[in-house]
Amino acid sequence: MTEEFLKLEKLTIGYNSQPILSNISLTIKRGSFTGLLGTNGSGKSTLIKTILGIIPALSGEIVYNAGYGKQPVLGYVPQRETLDPIYLLSSFEVVLMGACGRVGPGRFMNRAEKEWAHHCLRETGADDLSRKRFSQLSGGQKQRVLIARALAAKPDFLLLDEPTAGIDAAASQAIMELLRRLHSEHQLTILMVNHDLQAVRRYVHEIIWLHQGKVVQGPVAKLLSRDKIEEILDLELE
Amino acid sequence: MDTLREIFDPGFLLRNSVYISLLVGFACPLVGVYLILRRLVFMGVALPQISSCGIAFAFAVPGGWGLIDHMHQGHFAGDEHTLAFIGSTVFTLTAILILAFLERRGRGLAEGRIGTAYVLAGAWSILLLVKNPLGERGLLDLLKGEIIAISNFDLGLTAGTFLIVMVVLFLFNKEFLLVSFDREMAVTLKKNVLVWDFLLFLMIGLTISMSVLSVGPLVAFGFLLIPPLTAHLFARNMRQFALFAACMGGFTAIIGFCLAYRWDYPVGPTDVALLGVLYAVAFIGRKIYLGFRTIQAH
Repeated sequence: MTEEFLKLEKLTIGYNSQPILSNISLTIKRGSFTGLLGTNGSGKSTLIKTILGIIPALSGEIVYNAGYGKQPVLGYVPQRETLDPIYLLSSFEVVLMGACGRVGPGRFMNRAEKEWAHHCLRETGADDLSRKRFSQLSGGQKQRVLIARALAAKPDFLLLDEPTAGIDAAASQAIMELLRRLHSEHQLTILMVNHDLQAVRRYVHEIIWLHQGKVVQGPVAKLLSRDKIEEILDLELE
Repeated sequence: MDTLREIFDPGFLLRNSVYISLLVGFACPLVGVYLILRRLVFMGVALPQISSCGIAFAFAVPGGWGLIDHMHQGHFAGDEHTLAFIGSTVFTLTAILILAFLERRGRGLAEGRIGTAYVLAGAWSILLLVKNPLGERGLLDLLKGEIIAISNFDLGLTAGTFLIVMVVLFLFNKEFLLVSFDREMAVTLKKNVLVWDFLLFLMIGLTISMSVLSVGPLVAFGFLLIPPLTAHLFARNMRQFALFAACMGGFTAIIGFCLAYRWDYPVGPTDVALLGVLYAVAFIGRKIYLGFRTIQAH
């Protein structure tokens, strides 16, 4: 649990040369379950997308543990509204996309990859949804399928962008329980953007809090204590 | 039925026109599917017009310089065909890449850009040919959708290009679908999205260029958009979507040719009008079917 997995060194992130967060440095430990908190516009999604390589960093470095030997495989669960319902894809086909990183151009998905996709659907409790059209699923069901898709990539590092946003309380709790189980059973390193402080307090071990361009990192028990929250808010007053 | 038998007779004078209609009817919807999925429908309207502008440019500029001293009646032949192909392809690919790049940057009004490109391409097509009556005659046939004089060379080139497009779409379907559906996911899976986008747009551009060169812009955008829109009403998965669209395109091309031949109408507008009728019938039929199902469920 204490081994360093990812290190951000003096990283500046933003869009079109306009920085949102400047010179941030932080580490994520292997096997940790980290929550990324912050108000709207604080740079949470931008940070996740920069780590994923979707947005280039303006400066600084993203370094994975040198002892790791290879570039880690990243599993990404985006905000589900970003996916266009016009595509006539079944949940199984969406999950199978996760295996595209291993299957080269012009090659077709073999039986093993298809079985793996079914396995991932079972892992997330979405096996019964495999033949249903993805666009017709409820918010919670879509989220399970997208988590299954991220798992289909066989990730070393799972990054989730607000997986419980817009989902009712019961579905939201089920998603968090699923993430906790995946984390404990597979020792997955997880970084998750989440606005729900209760859920973060209950399920997450570490917190990265983005606030007015500053980054505060620490264990949940410490950072979500009343005193610490007041201290962070005091930063705002300063 | 007699008309159908007649147009498929090996000795039929316009047999190349039948075959090219069938090819365009089958191939255009296959790339049109991606225009629908990527919500680039307006681009499907503008690109054939831009392609026509490329053909007009290819005739007008070298013609003005005295590089072409003759133009054959009806459709183009030999050097003119090559020039038209180059003009059409260069204009289409340049336009599709610029428009797609600006779309990805997400700035400005995409519909405004595409609408402007459409209008400018239409205006320039006329301006480039107005002083070149020989070129004007060839392009006018294209604009009217007259699919009459198709040489064996035209047919072979179109068939060869469409075959390449279909093989590429089939082989790289997984990659094209991934970068279209979830570009960010594709990046995290280490896919070079720019390369895949470029290859897909190249296939779309080639299909549009060849279609416009063979059957004109009106027929090209009719087959690019209407069969996929109709197929989307009924298809249950992506495979059915592409297959239904291509089959509808091929079917309409043949029936449209039969009707045009029998009643002496221009083939292109007949095809597009028939596509419109089929779309309307499919749309109303689906509404009625869904209405019945709702009543039965209650």
